[in-house]
Amino acid sequence: MTARQLITRLALVAVAGLGLFSMYRIGLLDLSHVQPAAENLAEFAGALFPPNTDVLGTLVDAMLETIEIAFVGTLIGALISLPLAFLSARTLFPPLVSVTTRMLIGAIRTVPSLLWGVIFVIAYGLGPEAGALGVALYTVGFLAKLYSESFEAVDPEVVEAVQGAGSNRLQLIVYAVLPESANALVSHLLFMFEYNIRASAIMGFVGAGGIGYYMLGYVQLLQYENLMMALIVTFVVVMAVDYLSARLRVLIVPAMQGRGVRAPLFAGITTLAS
Amino acid sequence: MSIDLPGDAPDARTASPFGYAVRRQPVVHAGDLWFGYRSDLPVVRGVTLDVYSGAVTMILGRSGSGKTTLLKVLKGLLHPQRGSVQIAARCSNGRAAGAIAYVPQTLGLVRSLTALDNVLTGALSRVGTVRSLAHIFPGAIVDEARETIARLGLGHKLHEPVYRLSGGERQRVAIARALMQHPDLILADEFVSQLDPITACDILDMMRDISHNRGVSLLVTTHETDVVEDYADRVVVMRHGEIVHDSPGGRLSQPQMLDLLR
Repeated sequence: MTARQLITRLALVAVAGLGLFSMYRIGLLDLSHVQPAAENLAEFAGALFPPNTDVLGTLVDAMLETIEIAFVGTLIGALISLPLAFLSARTLFPPLVSVTTRMLIGAIRTVPSLLWGVIFVIAYGLGPEAGALGVALYTVGFLAKLYSESFEAVDPEVVEAVQGAGSNRLQLIVYAVLPESANALVSHLLFMFEYNIRASAIMGFVGAGGIGYYMLGYVQLLQYENLMMALIVTFVVVMAVDYLSARLRVLIVPAMQGRGVRAPLFAGITTLAS
Repeated sequence: MSIDLPGDAPDARTASPFGYAVRRQPVVHAGDLWFGYRSDLPVVRGVTLDVYSGAVTMILGRSGSGKTTLLKVLKGLLHPQRGSVQIAARCSNGRAAGAIAYVPQTLGLVRSLTALDNVLTGALSRVGTVRSLAHIFPGAIVDEARETIARLGLGHKLHEPVYRLSGGERQRVAIARALMQHPDLILADEFVSQLDPITACDILDMMRDISHNRGVSLLVTTHETDVVEDYADRVVVMRHGEIVHDSPGGRLSQPQMLDLLR
């Protein structure tokens, strides 16, 4: 056995040991809990059916609000993410700027989406505007990082060539970095919107609007048939958004179809002559 | 790196042994250049080189001999650890950056932009930031870009995104972008190494024509001895980061070149 193989095996044993220890610490190895848990689950599953269609109208309205929260939150988050991503790209700005901005983005990412929801409920009061802003800040934490990495991944020879033509930093961003990373930006944005639909669905747990408000209420009032209806509505919307975003991604990013690289956002912005 | 204005560069009459240079000052004078990506491992070692206008200078060397790094130092993309680069360029736009155009090995074209937009990026230093960010270029510059592309035989592909162009067509777009910088010197890295021989000859014929008729100097790196034999006005051979040979073109046979490369 080589030293590398030995290290690999030791690492696997260490991970397994750590896993077992953690399971013990949180009580998962206590088998006396398994039977009551299974019985509770079975009872809960039985109570979910049949789903109550009477609340469908209310839930569809709440789901529309959830989609709006996700859409607005993603949009605002993307707009804030772009400049932050530029500032944090190590290939575009000096270390002092990029490291400071990275730390700021990291700090934003540290706060969970629900906590952002709570913060904006405190600021704005109950309602979807708090949810949208919570989703926006949560989006900034992730999208700014993903965008920044896309900017850093732009072919350095493209950057050198445009920079070498005497362009300044803003021109470099507009004429090289943005067009070259457009496919990745669109792909990340669609992914974030999909993700934010799910995140927005639970924003109502803290009073920040959307279908989560009803889900929490149904759980607290033990109205599990209504909860099932809410889960079905959420499932249908999440599936539909997944499907639509996959279709959109294929349309916008033809590289995924093996047709080479294209960025229609920027192809054909052909320059105006004054 | 120091950048000197016209009149400050060393006099070619004493600096160059070549006929074409006697009439002109060097466009670029590199003196005792040293550069390494790690300080203890120099890639360019004490290179001194004068480049004269209106000539095709080819730097021949094997992979890893320091050719690309030397071009980047000459362009100012890398800063030498020792030595200096003096650019005797006319700075009609007040910026020295345009005096030397650089075409990287992979051409550095923005694939999703059209041929015209790529060529216009060569004129960004001549357009105000606000106008260029709004994609509003002065009509004269757009006309110049159209004419430059048309002269290189791509007038019918102005609005074609670069990713749809062939290798030879992309090469022409890169040349047009370089010419839009009104350069005194074009640095081209392994310029035709990825093209088929016929397209490579077309491009090199075009480049030689531009160099001889427009007075634009060309400094081209290559590892292909036949290209050097056919097109170089001057041959510089690099090995392990140093210049080991420098002579007018046509004096070295291919076997001699191969000997120098070993």
